[in-house]
Amino acid sequence: MADTYNIIISGEGGQGVLSIAEIIAQAAWLQGKQAVCVPYFSTEKRGGISMAFAQISDRPIAFPKFRQADLWVALSERAVTRLESYLKAGTTVIVNSHLVKDLSKLESWQPRIIDATKIAKEQLHKPRTFNMVILGAMLNFVPGISKEGFAAALDKQFADKYARDPELKKLNQQAFEIGYELIKK
Amino acid sequence: MSEKNFLMGNEVLGRAARAAQADAMYGYPITPASEIMHFWAGEAGSEAGHDQGLVFQQAEDEIGAGFMLIGGVLAGRRAFTATAGPGHVLMQDAFAMAEAMRLPVVAYIMQRGGPSTSTVIYSQQEVTLACFGGNGNGFRIVYAPSTLQELFDYGLKVFNTAWKYRFPTFLLGDGYLAKMLGEVELYDPAERGLEIVPTEPYLLEKKRGIDLKNVIPSPELEVRYSDGVEYACLRNCLNMEEETLTVNQEIKAAWDKMAKEVVEHEYVGQSAAKTVVVAQGIVAAAARQAVQEASGSVGLFRPITLNPFPVEALRRSVAGAERIIIAESAYNQLGRMVKDALYGQVQVPITEYYRPSMSILPEEIAELIKDNVAV
Amino acid sequence: MPEEMSKLEIRSALPKCARLDSKPHLFCPGCGHPEVLKALGFAVDELGLQRRIAFGVDIGCSLLAWDFFDFDTVETHHGRTVPVMVGLRLGNPEAIAVAYVGDGGAYAIGAGHLLNAAIRNDNILTIVVNNGLYAMTGGQEAPTTHPGWKVKTAPYGADQYYIKAPEIIRNVNPAAFVARGITSRQPELRQLMKDALQHINGNHGFAFLEVLSQCPLNWKTMDSAEATFRVLEQEHAKLFPTGRF
Repeated sequence: MADTYNIIISGEGGQGVLSIAEIIAQAAWLQGKQAVCVPYFSTEKRGGISMAFAQISDRPIAFPKFRQADLWVALSERAVTRLESYLKAGTTVIVNSHLVKDLSKLESWQPRIIDATKIAKEQLHKPRTFNMVILGAMLNFVPGISKEGFAAALDKQFADKYARDPELKKLNQQAFEIGYELIKK
Repeated sequence: MSEKNFLMGNEVLGRAARAAQADAMYGYPITPASEIMHFWAGEAGSEAGHDQGLVFQQAEDEIGAGFMLIGGVLAGRRAFTATAGPGHVLMQDAFAMAEAMRLPVVAYIMQRGGPSTSTVIYSQQEVTLACFGGNGNGFRIVYAPSTLQELFDYGLKVFNTAWKYRFPTFLLGDGYLAKMLGEVELYDPAERGLEIVPTEPYLLEKKRGIDLKNVIPSPELEVRYSDGVEYACLRNCLNMEEETLTVNQEIKAAWDKMAKEVVEHEYVGQSAAKTVVVAQGIVAAAARQAVQEASGSVGLFRPITLNPFPVEALRRSVAGAERIIIAESAYNQLGRMVKDALYGQVQVPITEYYRPSMSILPEEIAELIKDNVAV
Repeated sequence: MPEEMSKLEIRSALPKCARLDSKPHLFCPGCGHPEVLKALGFAVDELGLQRRIAFGVDIGCSLLAWDFFDFDTVETHHGRTVPVMVGLRLGNPEAIAVAYVGDGGAYAIGAGHLLNAAIRNDNILTIVVNNGLYAMTGGQEAPTTHPGWKVKTAPYGADQYYIKAPEIIRNVNPAAFVARGITSRQPELRQLMKDALQHINGNHGFAFLEVLSQCPLNWKTMDSAEATFRVLEQEHAKLFPTGRF
């Protein structure tokens, strides 16, 4: 409970909410942490609000859900209205400013802003690197995962994909570096 | 080789079925259980699966899947299905036949919200259905794992229990266990000294190891010989009340004999605790953590087999209790079984914490233990 | 069954795979089921398939066939015999899986199973006995009930719609064996049974045989074999043309 780091990622269906949670949880696990993640899935795969819970801890995790997040990542406007109840004093909030325009409700959390959609599209010319930009930003806060460790974990998780497409490795690395640098603590 | 993996619950179950040497799956898509079938489709279609003769069939609905499963078992296959919610309701048709004829069908049931279509996420509202569904007396074995690791352990075990005792045997999980990813240790059962109970066809088997008379209620079976060949005729439509009584009595006798060997529970915490929490499945995992962190005289009683229910063990566990807490993500489904087991045995107050289709967190159980929650 | 008829005489009237000590059978006098079953039995005898048959019988009058033969047999639930046989055949590719179902079981409660087995080209034989109504449960309307027939659940006459199943099966599966026979033409029916069994024995996929049959009890023609025959040949066979599809 108290010594577990709780993460919520929320956004629109199809934005890759669950993959972000899976990648961060598995990366932590590959670095020797206990980790669990679960999607909060709705009946529609697309068109609905999608969210995922991830927990990282030094000891086994009993239940995949929790009350309040230590890190909350909002990828779309609708996600904000739905998930306020999971915020507590001190929750780190990251928002994808490309889709979340109204930050008024989040003021007291001093949200960290990143336009991951634009970076992926214009800077990296690959919209699918969006997830990696967000993951890079998250890396500043998740305890127990170093940037190097995260890169090593990606090598394992994406071993097959990287073998087929060596460019992807470089691109992912670039993307999470950008995210990491932009949101530095 | 045992190895630690980071896997989704549904894939853990697929791998458990493989480790148990299951060789046929019949199913129908339903969230949150579908990935079990996806995994199996991949295995059956692979070169290895093909060489091993693995069977996979996606049916037209859960009624079809349930009855195909019966067909697979009649053919001697270590066969299973996976379902949830409304699909679990439809499968009761086939499960009732399996119960009547003591056919060892295996099902992984991953509970979702209810009643009706509801949410695809989570609940513990299929306890009564899994244990007592159908137009019979609930002669089906139901295991309730509480962790990803137990999905593997019990996902393996259900096949052995089913074929050793010849009763329908279910693993009752939920959408959280189905969909969560976490650490699981996979192993080859042989490494742990676990033997795989052999299967045997009911039909078209001409050299029997097990006499069908020992596993099928006598009014439902007629075995005859023609030209030295044995022919087995199985029925479930009976003519007389007396025959039906005999069928039920014979199943009950086999059930009572089996129950002593199969019934399982877990107790955590101080023995003869003053406060005893009773929970099952993933809620028991939350309760386990809460009990371990609680101060004072607290224990957790967790039925691992919901059916047969560990009645004697529960009575022993609450012998010193001044208070019992029942927590479940349903209204009074586990509760009913607990109170039935304890009727006339205890004189202490029972706190009933029922949250249908909602998660119950360790913090909530901790607050219940501290007795500062309005129920 | 005349008392003077000896076991030997019964034996000679029955296929070899039929079980002698369950005769006389339990069907009503004049019922079409035994005629269908005998045609099946003779075909099984001729092809030498007795030991490989897995015989699934449905609920309804068809359940009375559970002890008709020396076959490995299983009685299932109403409408569910097709999926049981599908699952069994997948589990045992050596099995000759035969589902024996009435028109209610096949075309109403089990219609989804039947149609999808045909669409998947499952390697089983489905025999459907079509007598135009639910017989066992007391003469209710079936998907095969003739327009205007007065039955228990259509006391003022059944509506104009009814199912022509072989025609549908042929539409969804061009490779299947599909035919409609009739109890009153035994040599033809026996040949259809043989061809249907050969189809699945050769692993060619789905075989479907509907058999037009009589129900003197619910047709209310118990007193007159001629009347039964008239309904069968002149009404039933007119509405449902026999032949191969």
